[in-house]
Amino acid sequence: MTDTTAIPALEVKDLQVDFSAQGGKVQAVRGVSFSVQPGETLGIVGESGCGKSVTMMSLMGLIPMPPGRIVGGSAKLSGREILHLPVAELNKIRGVDIGMVFQDPMSALNPTMKIGEQIAETLMVHKGMSKSAALKRAVELLDRTKIPEAQKRAKQYPFEFSGGMLQRAVIAMSLACNPSVLIADEPTTALDVTIQNQVLELMRDIQKEEGMAIVLITHDLGVVARMADKVAVMYAGQIVESGSAEDIFYRSAHPYTLGLKEAMPAPNMHVDERLVAIAGSPPDLFSPPLGCGYCSRCETAMSICNRQLPELIAVGDAHQSRCWHQHQMMDASVEGLFQPNYRTDRESSSSESAQ
Amino acid sequence: MTQYILKRLLSGVVTIWFIATATFVAMHLVPGDPLSGDKAMSAEVRKNLELRYGLDKPVIHQYGIFLSNMLQGDFGISYTQKNRRVNDIIREHFPVSAILGVLALIIATVGGIVWGALTALYRDRWPDAVIMFFVVVAVSVPSFVFAMLGQLGILTLNKWLGASILPVAGWGSIGHMLVPALVLGLSTMAYLTRLMRSSMLEVTSADYIRTARAKGVSPFRIFYKHQLRNAILPVITVLGPSIAAITTGGFVVELVFAIPGLGRYFVQAVQQLDYTVIMGTTVFYGAFLVLMVLLVDILYGFVDPRIRVGKVSA
Repeated sequence: MTDTTAIPALEVKDLQVDFSAQGGKVQAVRGVSFSVQPGETLGIVGESGCGKSVTMMSLMGLIPMPPGRIVGGSAKLSGREILHLPVAELNKIRGVDIGMVFQDPMSALNPTMKIGEQIAETLMVHKGMSKSAALKRAVELLDRTKIPEAQKRAKQYPFEFSGGMLQRAVIAMSLACNPSVLIADEPTTALDVTIQNQVLELMRDIQKEEGMAIVLITHDLGVVARMADKVAVMYAGQIVESGSAEDIFYRSAHPYTLGLKEAMPAPNMHVDERLVAIAGSPPDLFSPPLGCGYCSRCETAMSICNRQLPELIAVGDAHQSRCWHQHQMMDASVEGLFQPNYRTDRESSSSESAQ
Repeated sequence: MTQYILKRLLSGVVTIWFIATATFVAMHLVPGDPLSGDKAMSAEVRKNLELRYGLDKPVIHQYGIFLSNMLQGDFGISYTQKNRRVNDIIREHFPVSAILGVLALIIATVGGIVWGALTALYRDRWPDAVIMFFVVVAVSVPSFVFAMLGQLGILTLNKWLGASILPVAGWGSIGHMLVPALVLGLSTMAYLTRLMRSSMLEVTSADYIRTARAKGVSPFRIFYKHQLRNAILPVITVLGPSIAAITTGGFVVELVFAIPGLGRYFVQAVQQLDYTVIMGTTVFYGAFLVLMVLLVDILYGFVDPRIRVGKVSA
């Protein structure tokens, strides 16, 4: 795996990704930084369109370019820069150092190719294995992801598999070359709950054996709570809060994280009880707001929130939040925070942006 | 699979019977008969001839004779050509049409797939625009125009090189076949190109292509291992009807290039109301098409595993 444990398996700094659209560009990712150590699981949480998938896709060079463009930042895989690599170089990393598991296993596999062959392809391409050797190894991998009768299953086509089995096959495929990082983009979203459980279990078992880092993208807080060591909460193309799973769940600092937690259905809820939703919708990233992206939906927004973007502020040991409420923890004082009309125009500004 | 093929063959027989009956009825509804030609004929001679060919019998009786002969694989004797059996006409001239048709189909399919894939790979860039322009031309211009342009082209080429590279018309060598087959397959090729293009574009944005890229598979390997096979599926589906289009188109091309195919006899027979030749060739072509469509469907099963297993379990 990695040379020393001190070097993160994957370290992303200030990643910015744009998509050009008619009459301008959408700033899908606006300065995202995180790191994962080998053997660690990072959960990236956020609602649809917050940029969590685009972040990981752009690391792998999987976003369509154009219209997509990596504007800035760096991504280091075990210390080696991987952003802006040419496709030929990138192909030596894809599937070898970084494995990927996708959301919908039903469509993630080639319908006209046998499962075994699809897994073997990774080995043939990267390890130069012969077809028979690669197929043999593919059966072992299927066996390892607890697919019964792997020998027989390898000769079947995707349509002969159930959703859960397919996701196991996809996981087997992503593990073919023992990657140091596994990116799982909503791996359980398309599966029903019992199967979800098995797939998560499987991923954790394999991580224990292989010691790889997992980046788990999801909008399911339950999945994050089960799996993640560290959590990054994303909103409007930025990380708004990051920290250990305990920090995020028990010492939530950002209003958005609190909102997400409240929106979770509780097991002891009454049937008639309504689920709590965060009112409003995320800002248009075509022209991102000047201030905090969550401002218009935030119940505790202040005047400065609308005008100036807060930095990620350390609120604890390795726990950061991008919220003005934690400004006391900042090293430097913030100009404009204590202006005369502080808090007085809150009502008008929040109702304005709610329009 | 065997059961499926048998079922299809049976429905094919019904189709052919229907074609035969419909043609028979249509032929007899047309005013006149094979004997009402240019030549003046006394009533007595006519009577004799009618007697000889069985035309004096009621139509339903004639239909019965025709059906029983057809079941025995005998299409009878031509009314207008002396002592020529329809079976002989088919045997002598169909291979010519078949070779031309198959060659045209191969050119159309390979061309359609290659051009279609190219336009998709170079989407919205100049190769795409150029190929799609020719596609529109090939679809809209009738084949006899291309046939004549083809002849003109051969002629110009021969003149320019000062030697006879390709024969302008006739039949015999591979040189005789190339240009007519190309002309014959042109509109089908254009159609398949468009189909292949849209199908390729659809496949390109498919999830499993993204998976393949995430595996680190090279773009070229993705193209031929993952995209091509999936993109070809819709193309194979329309191959059956394409065969029909190419066969019927063959009549015109054979005429222009003076190719001794079955098409010429077919057209001639219709003009002269040569009952036996019309019936024979129509039924034969019908059977040929039914068989080809069945073959295409079986081929489809080989390319798409989902269809294959579905049929076995059915």
